[in-house]
Amino acid sequence: MSGVRGLLRGLGTTARTLTRRAHTAQYPHTEPTLPERSRGVIALLEENCTSCMLCARECPDWCITIDSHKETLPAQTEGGRERSHNVLDRFDIDFSLCMYCGICIEVCPFDALFWAPDFAYAEGDIRNLLHDKERLGTFMASVPESALPTAEEKG
Amino acid sequence: MQVVLNWGRRYSLWVFNFGLACCAIEFISASMARHDFIRLGVIPFAPGPRQSDLMVVSGTVTDKMAPAIRRLYDQMPEPKYVISFGACSNSGGPYWDSYCVTKGVDQLIPVDVYVPGCPPRPEALLHGIVTLQEQIAAETPGQARSRSGSRYADRPVTAGEVTRDLVAPPAQD
Amino acid sequence: MSSRDVDVTLGAAGVGGLSTTEMVLNIGPQHPATHGVLRLRITADGERITAAEPVIGYMHRGAEKLFEVRDYRQIMVLANRHDWLSAFNNEVGVALTVEHLLEMEVPERATWARTLLCELGRVLNHLMFLGSYPHELGAITPMFYSFREREEIQAVMEEYSGGRMHFMATRVGGLLHDLPEGWLDRVDAAVSTVRSRLPDLTGLVLGNEILQGRTRGIGVLDLDTVLAYGVSGPIARASGLDVDLRRDEPYLAYGELFGEDGPGRVVTREAGDCYARLDVLVEQIQVSLDLVEACTARLRDLGPGPISSRLPKKLKVPAGEHYCASENPLGLNGYYLVSRGDTVPHRLKLRSASFNNVQVLREMLPGTVVADMVAILGSMFFVVGDIDK
Repeated sequence: MSGVRGLLRGLGTTARTLTRRAHTAQYPHTEPTLPERSRGVIALLEENCTSCMLCARECPDWCITIDSHKETLPAQTEGGRERSHNVLDRFDIDFSLCMYCGICIEVCPFDALFWAPDFAYAEGDIRNLLHDKERLGTFMASVPESALPTAEEKG
Repeated sequence: MQVVLNWGRRYSLWVFNFGLACCAIEFISASMARHDFIRLGVIPFAPGPRQSDLMVVSGTVTDKMAPAIRRLYDQMPEPKYVISFGACSNSGGPYWDSYCVTKGVDQLIPVDVYVPGCPPRPEALLHGIVTLQEQIAAETPGQARSRSGSRYADRPVTAGEVTRDLVAPPAQD
Repeated sequence: MSSRDVDVTLGAAGVGGLSTTEMVLNIGPQHPATHGVLRLRITADGERITAAEPVIGYMHRGAEKLFEVRDYRQIMVLANRHDWLSAFNNEVGVALTVEHLLEMEVPERATWARTLLCELGRVLNHLMFLGSYPHELGAITPMFYSFREREEIQAVMEEYSGGRMHFMATRVGGLLHDLPEGWLDRVDAAVSTVRSRLPDLTGLVLGNEILQGRTRGIGVLDLDTVLAYGVSGPIARASGLDVDLRRDEPYLAYGELFGEDGPGRVVTREAGDCYARLDVLVEQIQVSLDLVEACTARLRDLGPGPISSRLPKKLKVPAGEHYCASENPLGLNGYYLVSRGDTVPHRLKLRSASFNNVQVLREMLPGTVVADMVAILGSMFFVVGDIDK
């Protein structure tokens, strides 16, 4: 008889669990509620990017590719200086390589990169995992409000 | 007929987990009660590759492991599908510049769906499964598989061929 | 274990009578419990194992070589991936080593927050093995209970760091984020939920006669072998080795937690069998939950403050070398850093716990029967990435 106690206890646990609601998250039917810091995908706010290349350099597996060219704006006032600025041609993140460490977002000095909690971008072709700047821009819509720079920070 | 076949294939994917590293833990997470992919018709009780339809490669594939993966894939009966789960099996991920890591499992076997993440959330795997099911639904049975155009799909390679010999030591002066 | 994992080849070793043909058995490399890929080459005489040799390297990813071309922040990313079940503890180990070499002071708040997260990581790790070990023995149910608790803790970890497994929250000099508003309360809530439901799991595991029958007196590891092979962590403590770096060589805030009237205590058992090893894990979860509560209480007392110290833009570590060891969930983890004054280390050697813990299988397995092999293998609580790096 001594061999039955553990068995009964196990059955009791099962029976008790049976009376509780299942904790299953019905994912494809209901979207999960994710914390704000959730690292799902990297969103790019293109107008903030100055193509300084810090993110591309600091990335631990170098999955960011940036191409840019210089454009010169004519002087705004008479006798003023011409101003040149960088125009972003290409900003690609290869999500098949990305390690989701957040270093690029941490180092970005101009608040151009953000974490968005989207995770549903599995692809049938690996080439589609290379997201260009337009696609990265679309994730801006789901960036949590608190992560965005406030108006006064923007100056 | 086609609809019935695809419907059957789509919702009874017996999965064979090729769990190699960190991602395997998230795969187990996805199979447990919280995320429970049996809801989607993915059944994680395949006793071996010969009885399974779907292989989920989760984790870093090293050159030493590569022949085993190819052999197990060859043992799976058609129709068979592969999900590459996580950065390491997509393209080598964090270890792409390592001397001993295969740069993506798609160099060995054709992959149907790539799930990005390091490791991906369990929900991302569920999304990958849904993507795969959509692909299966679009198939025409008996015809060439939709993935046949993809890389390495038709490569007649056996496990023996992906076994690499030892690299010779550098020549002594 | 299913038949696919056992590749049976007849060896030519045995000569003589019918019953003494020796057989060479390959277990793996696909491990039945899927925490990585370990291959064992076993020579068996009938049911009895006469020799066993772990064949490692299936998960060797060359992390130590990759460290040499990455700066100290980038190293963290790889460091938490070699032992994927104790990611946070690994990050902190690297950070501590670099900080010691820099002789840098870390804010007190960061130290306590790190301790808190380390202990949560330890609970996550132990819960995983508490689920997977019975699974290897054929009991599926405990896994569901252990993952239910893991999800609770992963949720608070994700809320803090953003990641579910690889947190990447440690930086040299502190932590990346400050604690979110009200997070400490949610940690306490998660801890009390886990604590209240833990008897379900432990009752299923430790109280079960079948499991006891399969683990009691099986795979006894004596103290001399433990010392000879450098086995550490819960496995060594189950054999009576009373060593825990958290108490013996305190780092982070452990000096206080394991001091007089601290909640920390070192869990040891004398038996050294599989059951004792499992028992140590169960009790260590309780201790870790106590430590977490002590940490949240302390963090509340400390109030707001800095969580990281300022770093130069280019972090160069002065030339020198330093060895730092930490008590990871699976055992002693050592980091030997040699710096030549650059932004990248010259060499960063990892002394990982599982490497030594698995070696001892060579001593433990001979003499046992094949059926017990799974019980012994599972009870060594290893992570293959930690063996092969």
